[in-house]
Amino acid sequence: TGGHTTEILRLLSCLSESYSPRHYVFADSDKMSEAKICSFEQKRAETFSKSQFTLDRIPRSREVRQSWTSSVVTTLYSILYSVPLTYKRKPDLILCNGPGTCVPVCISAFLLGLLRIKRTIIVYVESICRVETLSLSGKILYYFSDYFIVQWPDLKKKYPKSIYLGRVV
Amino acid sequence: FRFKDSLAEDLQRADLVISHAGAGSCLETLENGKPLIVVINDKLMDNHQLELAKQLHRDGYVLYCNCSTLVETLQSMDLTTLKPFPPGQPEKFASFLDKVFGLQ
Repeated sequence: TGGHTTEILRLLSCLSESYSPRHYVFADSDKMSEAKICSFEQKRAETFSKSQFTLDRIPRSREVRQSWTSSVVTTLYSILYSVPLTYKRKPDLILCNGPGTCVPVCISAFLLGLLRIKRTIIVYVESICRVETLSLSGKILYYFSDYFIVQWPDLKKKYPKSIYLGRVV
Repeated sequence: FRFKDSLAEDLQRADLVISHAGAGSCLETLENGKPLIVVINDKLMDNHQLELAKQLHRDGYVLYCNCSTLVETLQSMDLTTLKPFPPGQPEKFASFLDKVFGLQ
């Protein structure tokens, strides 16, 4: 969604073509991200002609301020939906930055890893908006990710397993 | 204007921006090098939104007030005290990731 998409595209801006093809996964309710992504990829194709990417939509796992009990149900539904998608794509790397949408995808990858089907490296970059506290996605994925990156020093102190690189977006 | 697709044009022409504490608004304004006054809505009190605004204020990038003190802030403000906002460094992230995958 919105801010998250802008941030993640910035994170991608300096990556080489080794990180290809790129599979973008976003919520079906998200109207604006597709345009931003296509615009980014179009520009990228000007420099890297063989650039490849795909777009996948999944049901949104949780609306803002959705109740706890209904969130569990919708997230489980999103996980069920994400598992076949993650199995199909078998990514080497999952890069995410916090929308609820990323949790089911990461959990799917984690499960596929446990089942020895595909080992995916999960890199989570917490949003720049998070200075003192982690988002809910962050709190969950702190335990499931291989690398957890924060953009403010206070968070590094509170979450010692995290990595602080300064502001990266 | 209620909802525009992009405020980029208006932002370019502005000398001063007064905004709510939304991260997108704050960062876009700062990146365009415009002085910014962030107005906190005490009633909405979305704590997570405040975190960034407070930090940006602490670091000297923005001025900060609430609805009732806005006029006073506008009258007494000294925009020269605001520091320029350095851009983020996605190249550091790329470098980090390359190390993870042994691409360096």
